Amino acid sequence: MATSFKIDLRRGMVVTGKWKQGRYRIEKLLGEGANGKVYLVQRDRNWFALKVGSDAVDLQSEINVLQSIAKQKKQGQETFLFDVDDLYGPDGKEYPFYIMRYVLGTTLADYLKQQGAEWFPLVGLNLLGKLAKLHHAGWVFGDLKVENVLVADYGHVELVDYGGVTAVGKGIRQFTEIYDRGYWNGGSRSADAKYDLFSFGVLCIQLHEPKRLHGLTTELLPQNRSVEELMQVAESSQGLRPIAGWLRKAFGGEFHDAGDASAAWRLLMHRSDTHRTSGIPGWLKGLVAVSAVLLGTSVYWLVRNML
Amino acid sequence: MKQILLITDGCSNVGLSPIVAAAHANSEGISVNVVGVLDHGDVGELGASEIEEIARAGGGLSRMVNMRQLSQTVQMMTRKTVVQTIQIAVQKELKQVLGNGSIEALPPDKRAEVVRVIDELGETSGLQVALIIDASASMKPKLAAVEEAIRDLMLSLQARQGKSEISVFHFPGSRNGDDCVMDLNWTDHLNGVQAIFPKLQMGGTTPTGPAIMHVIDFYRQGVYGRQSRDETDGMMSGYVV
Ligand SMILES: Nc1ncnc2c1ncn2[C@@H]1O[C@H](COP(=O)(O)OP(=O)(O)OP(=O)(O)O)[C@@H](O)[C@H]1O
Repeated sequence: MATSFKIDLRRGMVVTGKWKQGRYRIEKLLGEGANGKVYLVQRDRNWFALKVGSDAVDLQSEINVLQSIAKQKKQGQETFLFDVDDLYGPDGKEYPFYIMRYVLGTTLADYLKQQGAEWFPLVGLNLLGKLAKLHHAGWVFGDLKVENVLVADYGHVELVDYGGVTAVGKGIRQFTEIYDRGYWNGGSRSADAKYDLFSFGVLCIQLHEPKRLHGLTTELLPQNRSVEELMQVAESSQGLRPIAGWLRKAFGGEFHDAGDASAAWRLLMHRSDTHRTSGIPGWLKGLVAVSAVLLGTSVYWLVRNML
Repeated sequence: MKQILLITDGCSNVGLSPIVAAAHANSEGISVNVVGVLDHGDVGELGASEIEEIARAGGGLSRMVNMRQLSQTVQMMTRKTVVQTIQIAVQKELKQVLGNGSIEALPPDKRAEVVRVIDELGETSGLQVALIIDASASMKPKLAAVEEAIRDLMLSLQARQGKSEISVFHFPGSRNGDDCVMDLNWTDHLNGVQAIFPKLQMGGTTPTGPAIMHVIDFYRQGVYGRQSRDETDGMMSGYVV
């Protein structure tokens, strides 16, 4: 188990790849997790993200996935993986790393807090679109959670942390309990598109009702965790009620894949009540009514004066 | 691949040293993982160091966790140990081919290939995990969490492509001074198993070492483990960098 991971790269340091001699200047730490640390780096005036790992086998298996995905990429799609190499840490030891596109964005929860919940339907759609692409190529994301979704301007979505990405049919490589289908007694831990859609459903609940979701995990006995419990939260939540039917399908594995699911999501978006929670506040509606009356009277006067 | 997973909350106090027993297991090709379950942050200095040493002698991993983390830890350890076991076998093979056993020392493209093989074998080779549960008095309030962790582990193993089985033991036995009692023979599912530990009488002693020996014996009796090991070795030797 990766117990202690001590590598610490400082701002201004330049790391050089052992095999390909790529040189990267460290700018700052972007984040860290169980498998490594991610830094913002610069090379020839371009920004990248560098992920350095503690375990060569673990990191390589993540890289293998990224490389397989890269091979399937169609022309014109943006490159994600740029370089793979080893570096010498300040302690003189070798550490494996890879260079990926720097995703400028905030985590999903922060984005909605800053920009407003009215972005949720669009961000959700974009996220389903990302998943659909992955599913289409034969992969399941696996460890879908709010921390692994970065959102840039205008609701543009990017997935990070490919450590859980699993080929369809195999056992999910990495997951987080509350997003896991097995944890909720909702099905197996085999990789299929429906697994990601289940996690997506939990993610929706996490965004709207984080406290109540957490409450379920502490109150319920393991054998009583169920889709029904999740649905009760969804149905009694103002923000989630409009998508409750969609969620039930996602939890029940009724969507074939993310493409299917996003088509249904898109239909919902164009129904007025999906947007209602963040819609026009009461006072504004009042204002509109007043101005309509005013407009009516001014038109009346205009017409009268013309005559 | 064969594993023992010991879940305990303290120190052994009778019979053969569990560290010696774990070393025995290791020499039989069985990796021993140990999870120490904490109450309120303490298993005592002695318990902690014993737990660590059992795992070291058994070629496995050890972790101290509270009950909320138990399921995820058990799942992660089992998975990690599978990879580690295969990694050791692959490294032995690499040594013969390259005169160098380290995966880290390989250039990136070769490393990618080797790790692909490790991942593939990790997913497809047969796996047996014998769980040994400390059922001494202090563990009583934790048994529900232990049972949950076992069910959760079964769920993860069922998602593997290779044949995966678990068996469950607890110690000490309730009567006749038994060191260890089997609760569940090798199985690949828990459907219909209402309770893994029905009406346990929690004993006072903690014969961890003898319990491990008992399970090694149990492994020896089975033929399946041996066959699957040969299979893995065969696949390994067919692999050339
Ligand atoms: N390409 C990127 N661009 C910008 N930020 C990134 C990028 N990749 C990762 N990050 C940031 O770094 C954090 C940690 O990265 P990542 O999740 O890959 O690490 P990890 O060790 O695999 O974590 P985990 O424990 O969740 O598996 C992310 O949550 C994100 O905030």
